[in-house]
Amino acid sequence: AIEDLFTSLNRHIERSEFELAVKVSNQVLKIAPGDEDAIRCKVVALIKNDCIDDALLAIENCSKKSLIDFSFFKAYCLYRQNKLNEALECFKGKEENPAAMLLESQILFRLGKMDACVDIYQKLQRTKIDSLEINFVAGLVSAGRASD
Amino acid sequence: NPIVLDLAYNLIDFPSLENRM
Ligand SMILES: [K+]
Repeated sequence: AIEDLFTSLNRHIERSEFELAVKVSNQVLKIAPGDEDAIRCKVVALIKNDCIDDALLAIENCSKKSLIDFSFFKAYCLYRQNKLNEALECFKGKEENPAAMLLESQILFRLGKMDACVDIYQKLQRTKIDSLEINFVAGLVSAGRASD
Repeated sequence: NPIVLDLAYNLIDFPSLENRM
């Protein structure tokens, strides 16, 4: 039953067995194509397993079958492939949230757009993102604003 | 070059499967 598959999937996730998590996600999707939890698990497991190309393929495939907004995952994969302008495109018209803003700031950093990068970190300071100050300082230093 | 961490990676997480099992 699908409940048993999710129990097994959950166990693989807890053990960081990402390949197995992908395998079980696929088993769920065979029974229930378009199952949102299974699709998300598959994409996240592929990313956590460093299979960025496969994650992008899965996103492309699933985007045709579901209404899930994969823009953050897609932007992250493109960032990992260093397709930075394409990655930025994913944020257009999307609602801002801390995760998306953080990724955007990392992309802007790589593009050398330090002022825009630092602006986002300033907005994020109210959130509780671990180690945020490390990237904030890197942005400030690179922007020549270390005295801020 | 200053150190930049991939903090976005930490925010990529699995959905809760609590009520699917
Ligand atoms: K950064």
